[in-house]
Amino acid sequence: MSEISFPIKDLARRKTQTTLTIFGLAISTAATLFLIIFGSNLGFEIMFLAKGGRLTSGFSNIFFQFILIVSILNILTGPIITSFLVHLTMSGRRQDIGVMKACGCLSGSIFAYFVTELSLLVFFSSLIGIIFGVAAYYFSTIFLNVSGFSISQTLNLGTILIICIVLIIFSHIFGALPISKAAKAKPTEAMSPIYQLGTTAALGKKIPSKLGLTFKAAFRNLLRRKSATSQAIICFTVVLTLTTVTIVGGMIANQTTTSYVERAIGRNIVLVGHLTLMERYVNLLSRFFEEKEMQQIDYLDHEFLISESLVSKLADIPGVRKVDARLVLENSVREVPGIVLDPIEQTTAVIIGDSRSNEALILGVEAEKVVNDWLIFGRKLGKNDQESTVIGDSLAVNMFDDPQNQSIKIFDESLLAYSIVGVCVDPLNNGKVVYMPIETLYNDLGQQGYNLLFLQIDASEKSQVLAQIENEVSEENLNFVELDTVLDKHVNFLNNIWSLVMFLPLFSLATATISLLSYLMLSISGQQHEFGIMRALGAKPRTIMKIVFSQALIIILVSGAIGISGGLFITFRFLIPDPVISQSILISVSAWLLVILGLLCASSLYPARKAVKKTVVDAISTL
Amino acid sequence: MKEKVIVASDLCRQFEIDDVIVDAINNINLTVEEGEFISIYGVSGAGKTTLLNLIGALDKPTSGKIVVFNHDLGTYDENFLATFRSAYIGFVFQSYNLISTLTAVENIAFVIELAGWSKERIKNRSETLLKLVGLEHRGNHFPAQLSGGERQRVAFARALANDPPLLLADEPTGNLDMETGVEIVSILEKIKEKGKTVILATHDEKLLKLASRSLFLKDGRLTDR
Repeated sequence: MSEISFPIKDLARRKTQTTLTIFGLAISTAATLFLIIFGSNLGFEIMFLAKGGRLTSGFSNIFFQFILIVSILNILTGPIITSFLVHLTMSGRRQDIGVMKACGCLSGSIFAYFVTELSLLVFFSSLIGIIFGVAAYYFSTIFLNVSGFSISQTLNLGTILIICIVLIIFSHIFGALPISKAAKAKPTEAMSPIYQLGTTAALGKKIPSKLGLTFKAAFRNLLRRKSATSQAIICFTVVLTLTTVTIVGGMIANQTTTSYVERAIGRNIVLVGHLTLMERYVNLLSRFFEEKEMQQIDYLDHEFLISESLVSKLADIPGVRKVDARLVLENSVREVPGIVLDPIEQTTAVIIGDSRSNEALILGVEAEKVVNDWLIFGRKLGKNDQESTVIGDSLAVNMFDDPQNQSIKIFDESLLAYSIVGVCVDPLNNGKVVYMPIETLYNDLGQQGYNLLFLQIDASEKSQVLAQIENEVSEENLNFVELDTVLDKHVNFLNNIWSLVMFLPLFSLATATISLLSYLMLSISGQQHEFGIMRALGAKPRTIMKIVFSQALIIILVSGAIGISGGLFITFRFLIPDPVISQSILISVSAWLLVILGLLCASSLYPARKAVKKTVVDAISTL
Repeated sequence: MKEKVIVASDLCRQFEIDDVIVDAINNINLTVEEGEFISIYGVSGAGKTTLLNLIGALDKPTSGKIVVFNHDLGTYDENFLATFRSAYIGFVFQSYNLISTLTAVENIAFVIELAGWSKERIKNRSETLLKLVGLEHRGNHFPAQLSGGERQRVAFARALANDPPLLLADEPTGNLDMETGVEIVSILEKIKEKGKTVILATHDEKLLKLASRSLFLKDGRLTDR
């Protein structure tokens, strides 16, 4: 028999095992391929949003970290699942290898035969996997583009090639390992089930006796099949870490970013000012989700200024809780280098930063009257602050090395530089903002007055309050707008991006389910003979199903405990530095995690049913 | 008058292998009474295993009837048959069929765990049976760590675990050498003394001596020798 015809015939005669392995590997390859190419395209889409200046640096960071961590986990998951399935299949061949050795076949020839089998399995499954993966990718991008997104459909053939090469290499390394071990082992060892299963007696003594027969049998079975069980746990731990990061991370990041925006814009805020200036402000605020061409305007034009008497009248309206009067203008700001101690030597001083400049929106505010509540790194402006500023995150990232140890010049011609006490996440002008005390701004400008008012109103009396505001502002030829409508657009925009990103966890979950099914199917086909014996001894089909289900449950619970904790750790430690977690999100996250575990457990019912479909006689005669 | 334990009438079992119909059991009529020790003799492929599978409720007849302990086995579903096997039948297979991931003592205990015995009773019973088959020192060993004869002795202990009224032994010495075969014969003698109904399929003429009645099977039919 030629060297290639033996493995082909061998695989063809072991139809079930071969089909299961090819199916499992193909799905694993398809899922990995899909997740990576789809994930990288999502990343490009989000990068485009960020580069186009539509996202602030703080937001882009969260999105990037999310995509980056999910991609790393994806890259890890694919080879781990693939190698696990290959290892499981090849471990089942050890006995055959032992028999061949016993018949006098040389170790080298045995290794070559089985590695050829392995290569055939990997080659066919990779081919099918690529077809499925690319099809899933096209289907998903078409679906998302129809739903209003604009995801590129370009396929990066280089990426596909790299993924396939990595998967093929891993499959060969992990698959060749049991083959090589068995080929080197003595025939008696290779033929022994103890060697094949990694069976241990000592572990069996620790099994809790109060768990009931089926659970005990399942527990015992898993402990005794040491190598397969530990591999399964490693595999599902990684998959569940990925699923937890994507689902929990995605949900919490969505809520956190939404909360940043809500805090930065504020709820129940009415903006009052001249129509031109108000439109300008709303456009600057909406840059986050729609870019519009804007003409140059003179913010300090007398036409735009608001009288003190109107401010007083509006403050007196019942239902107006707070009046935040500001002087707003656009100007070029300049970075001022700072001096810090050398981080290594700690004795000499070094200069940090440069003299970079950028266009920014300057907002003179009265610290105690501010209606917004941004996420601030550092501190807020205080009542007694005179020469301090809080700058937006994009300005901080793009223009400064260490903003809190540097200062900022608002007007180039001025000699004054202001210290930066905090950095805020603000969608206004995409985070290119400077908040400073209004008195200081007056001094710098040599001009006084407000050009925009922010009124925080009581939501319960909204219509009456709005009617009164309209009365007052119309007398001075000014206008007003509710910022809630703008805020809702922001929230929708963020929800849209996250719903796009959340496509990834759905597929990771599918990968987890498919891996579990493949593992159980392969594992059951290896245990069919023993299930047959159990049934011959009086075990009901239900008992066998319970044993299979319990095996899946134990693996899911153990890997779930490690994977979910790991996923939560990664999410909170690396993904979202200052997460916003409401009670509702906690409930949703817990529900999702329970659904995932439940789905995985439920998916094991199918192989459990398959396990009892054979007749007792057929099952016993299964080898 | 002794109770009829097994009544087979016009019992047939056919298998379809690659469009070829094979008659494994062909029109068998058989009655076995309580306490009888029956040996079924036949060459390999005569249908002994198929007949034992039908009597032991592992398989269903293609036609005819098999009534064991007043239960028409062809009419029940798999759940009932599992309970039936657990309560009435002890099986010894030619290839031992021990569960490879369970130790010797756990293989024996598994049957009575299924029957819902208490922990203490399971322990006592398993140890008693290991002693009966002379393997009290090998209880914590896995099947792969036992010799063929030892495995078969564990299989006998397991078959007797829940004290079944009917023991079916399919070529119990088929895979063993002569010396080990003698050990099995001694176990069978002990079982015979206890008055259990035993059906023993064999092509080992020495085992025929143990039987109170011997039946001869050829091409799926019971024949005179």
